Amino acid sequence: MRAAMASSLPESQIAPAAGGVQARGIEKRLGNIEVLRGVNLDVAAGEILAILGSSGSGKSTFLRCVNLLTLPDQGDIWVHGEHLRLRPVSEDDSAPRILDHDQVRRVRASIGMVFQSFNLWPHMTALENVSAGPVLVNRLTRKAAAELGRRYLAKVGLSDKAGSYPRHLSGGQQQRVAIARALAMEPKLLLFDEPTSALDPELVGEVLRVMTALAGEGRTMMIVTHEVAFAREVSSRAAFMHQGRIEEEGSSREFFSNPASPGLRRFLAAHDERHS
Amino acid sequence: MDGFVLQFVEGLKTTVLLALISGALGMVVGLLAAAAKLSRFAPLRVVVGAYTTIVRGVPELLIILLIYFGGTVAISSFFGRYVEINAFSAGVLALTIVFGAYTAEIFRGAVLSISRGQIEAARSLGLHPWQTWLLIILPLMMRIALPALGNQWFSLIKETSLISIVGLTDIMRVAAVGAGSMRAPLTFYLAASALYLFLTSLALVVFNLLERHFAVRGH
Amino acid sequence: MDVELLLTSTMTLASGIPLTLILALASLVIGLVLSVPLAFLRASGNRWVSLPVLAYTYVFRGTPLLVQLFIIYYGLGQIDFIRSSVLWHVLRDPFWCSLLAFSLNSAAYTTEVFRGGILAVPPGMIDAAQAIGMTPLQQKRKIILPIAFRGILPSYVNEVIALLKASSLASTVTLLEITGLSRKLVSETFAPYEIFIAAGILYLGLTSVFTSGFRMLETRWLNAPPKQAAPDGIAVKRVAHGS
Ligand SMILES: Nc1ncnc2c1ncn2[C@@H]1O[C@H](COP(=O)(O)OP(=O)(O)OP(=O)(O)O)[C@@H](O)[C@H]1O
Ligand SMILES: [Mg+2]
Repeated sequence: MRAAMASSLPESQIAPAAGGVQARGIEKRLGNIEVLRGVNLDVAAGEILAILGSSGSGKSTFLRCVNLLTLPDQGDIWVHGEHLRLRPVSEDDSAPRILDHDQVRRVRASIGMVFQSFNLWPHMTALENVSAGPVLVNRLTRKAAAELGRRYLAKVGLSDKAGSYPRHLSGGQQQRVAIARALAMEPKLLLFDEPTSALDPELVGEVLRVMTALAGEGRTMMIVTHEVAFAREVSSRAAFMHQGRIEEEGSSREFFSNPASPGLRRFLAAHDERHS
Repeated sequence: MDGFVLQFVEGLKTTVLLALISGALGMVVGLLAAAAKLSRFAPLRVVVGAYTTIVRGVPELLIILLIYFGGTVAISSFFGRYVEINAFSAGVLALTIVFGAYTAEIFRGAVLSISRGQIEAARSLGLHPWQTWLLIILPLMMRIALPALGNQWFSLIKETSLISIVGLTDIMRVAAVGAGSMRAPLTFYLAASALYLFLTSLALVVFNLLERHFAVRGH
Repeated sequence: MDVELLLTSTMTLASGIPLTLILALASLVIGLVLSVPLAFLRASGNRWVSLPVLAYTYVFRGTPLLVQLFIIYYGLGQIDFIRSSVLWHVLRDPFWCSLLAFSLNSAAYTTEVFRGGILAVPPGMIDAAQAIGMTPLQQKRKIILPIAFRGILPSYVNEVIALLKASSLASTVTLLEITGLSRKLVSETFAPYEIFIAAGILYLGLTSVFTSGFRMLETRWLNAPPKQAAPDGIAVKRVAHGS
């Protein structure tokens, strides 16, 4: 029943909404694990969606499906109303699954992604990290890109670190550079995959402050995080993922103050305990 | 052409013998040199350090030439007439010196990577220092050194070909003679390559087996 | 030992340094240029792409450089097709033959070293490049290659030293670089000790200049505090077939 919904809906070629992201029936198998088992999730333009869930529930995998760093086996994704053209996986063939590489690059360029482990390029300074994308992908001149880069480094409070290499920055600073790198592409959507999980506790605050400021700008964001208090504060909607499915989803107010599913209740209780 | 098959077999024997003897001697030299480098006696460390640095910074061919022609001069002056040193002995000496210098570094690195804890555990069993060396450090070290040692043997097999330059009738020399007399250099040198490739592949297989063997036992 | 002879022959042999350097450095550069695309092919997950490259590196690393040089210098002339082509002008010249042999040999080693470096690039670096919308070529040029090259720099020194030393084989095809000159000089004077030792001193000088040069490059490039230097200059010989 799920499979039928995933790939053969006739209306699947029609964008369900104009902006944001719509994911329908996303399935992904990694090795022997069915990591995603039919995920349906929407983010409207201007909305901030928090995704919670226990470790291994498939949050990262789902987020990576949105910009096709990971190719879903089944299902459909619309980004900013554009249907991503993929061939669903089938038995015994190794033909390319991406049907339109230009589309994929265009869509990726319009989505900023911030990783748990920062993933700054070690051979580039902070400024070079931030302006590489504008030069290489958006074809800005070096000068314009550097100017843009400085602006976004200033935005995350790191003007004085433009010439520093990643290894000379603290974790919090590296993550802020990574955020600036994503912003410099002037994306329509930001994806955050546990951006503070790799940080020492005393460095979490500076990154969350930057993200809170971004949330106040009316940006579209999907944030995977274990910081329940932060999620409750900035998100407009929230989803709880469990064993490769969305177990509960709703407006933030309902979601956090009145959780319906036992799984989410347990999850929130465990996290509240930790913070009180 | 048939005659050359036999000559190639002889050449192969010479190459293998040369590699085995100088490899074995070279490992002994390497072990001693590694021990010297780890000793507390500074002058010894300096002398052996100079040996490994010099040998590893100079072409193998040059060392071979020096030993072959230098050896000839030395022996000639000893006998008072021109005596040419035997190419095989010169080859063994030269390759032993080279192999010793490289394996010394490998063994030294391997010893240094053995943790203090393992050595102290051995001591606490009441073993003598020399027993600790023989029963604990040496086997552990060999296991750690195995991959790098394999690479070194691999290089040694190829380096034996340089001895043909001072006249040793090894694979390479047989090929050169055949190439000249049969006017078919490509054929003969390709045949030589095949033989060397066979030998290096054999070394690869042997060392992979050794590594696997010790990896299993090392659990 | 005749110290004066040692000194004069050092001066004489020094005139072979340029040829030694040209042979070593030119084949280093050619080998490097060839090895970059080969290493990407070799690191490819597709067997049909990586296996032919493996065959090349396996054969060139599994046979003596001397044989490779002789095949090119003496052997290729046996093929009529080559003898009658324009290539023959190049392939009968000992300099070009040496350069070709050293370059192909060096490319084989460097390819394997680079492959290791490419595979060691953290996947997150590539994720970030993809996520920003870089093309595969941009990812390789701007991200993977620079990171891989910095990673292999310490072992690349070994390749430079190995090539400097390997260039001595050019003396077997009549070239008068340092070793060739010294062999000529020995046959004229029959003073092998002084002359070969003088040649050794020159090589030792060259290898230590290159080793320390690379150390400096490493510390500057990798932008790290100077590493604890190995007890003596040159690290383990270049690696043979990876396991
Ligand atoms: N490349 C892979 N091969 C096999 N299994 C994988 C791979 N990547 C992830 N998995 C498995 O997929 C499952 C979901 O992984 P995912 O990283 O999406 O979880 P997550 O919800 O982000 O967890 P966390 O909170 O720990 O980041 C896990 O069980 C993981 O072990
Ligand atoms: Mg995750």
